[in-house]
Amino acid sequence: MWTFFSICLRIGNLTFGGGDPTMAALYRELVERRGWLTREQYATAYALARVTPGTNLLAFSAGCGYLLHGWPGALIAVLAITIPSSLLVGWITMGYQAGHVNPVVAAVVGGIIASAIGMMMASAWQLIQPRIREGQWLRCLLLGGGAMIGLSVFHITPIFLLLVAAGVGYFWLAPEKRA
Amino acid sequence: MNVFLLYLLLLKSTTTSFSGMTSLPMLRSDLVVRHHVLTDRQLNTAIGVGRMGPGPAGIYVVSVGYFVGGTPGAIAGWLAMVTPAFLIVPFLVYVGRKAAHPRVRSMIQAITIAAGGLILSICLPMARDAITGALPLAITVVSFLILNFTRVETLWVILGSAIAGLLGFLI
Repeated sequence: MWTFFSICLRIGNLTFGGGDPTMAALYRELVERRGWLTREQYATAYALARVTPGTNLLAFSAGCGYLLHGWPGALIAVLAITIPSSLLVGWITMGYQAGHVNPVVAAVVGGIIASAIGMMMASAWQLIQPRIREGQWLRCLLLGGGAMIGLSVFHITPIFLLLVAAGVGYFWLAPEKRA
Repeated sequence: MNVFLLYLLLLKSTTTSFSGMTSLPMLRSDLVVRHHVLTDRQLNTAIGVGRMGPGPAGIYVVSVGYFVGGTPGAIAGWLAMVTPAFLIVPFLVYVGRKAAHPRVRSMIQAITIAAGGLILSICLPMARDAITGALPLAITVVSFLILNFTRVETLWVILGSAIAGLLGFLI
């Protein structure tokens, strides 16, 4: 269990770029190198993580932890992955709040804030773009455009819009992915 | 704001999202628009800070928590981020492979597309706060292009934007 903790600690906090690269690194470590999980177990955890609300990577590592060591394993995986990076984020925020009156800090933060908008736009595009490439442009236009108009023009609460989207998805089935 | 209420509001946005930043629209509508405990500038900063370190994209919630309620708030943010992850255990135990059902997949896809639209629509009010001139506008456009069309790591984009902001100030 200690080895599992240190694997999560290392991979979770040294892999930049978010969920998918980290899950790929865990695959190499847990399935290929150590043989702790079978390919099928990995695939099940991966598929279920996608349908679990919240951050996929965290659900995925909790799932792997559970398969290996039960509840303590799930807890250990999530703690190992989130504690160090959360502390870092907390400290940076604290530092910013203490120093944001300083004009040099303000200039640097101004740059970071502007790029955060670019990041948001990129993330929205990356959520939608694979579906457009699959030929689902009508779904994207109606769901994405409808949500946009619902929020910015009619100020409908996001949770209601997401529920409507879920309903639409339930009745209007997405085409199966070609293998 | 009461830390427990903060936790519940953050939890509401994390459990209704299925990947990294899709919790953003809900979070903004609760904390910025409805309760006024967070500014767009702070939310923007939180997103930037969240991508400076390693860890999942959803980690910006910790920074949001700090802005609203100091250290206890940050802990509430962390809890809100990790709580939904444990839902996978009952899924693994009871649902098994049924969760890969096409109808479930289709629903999640639909939610994710809608969330993409929601994120785009909140970019506008947030950009009004962040984009104050030609330089921030250029940084936004360049960051978007780099993140979308190259495989450069986010950390370098943030570092470059920080340096650009600094140079703009010095010159």
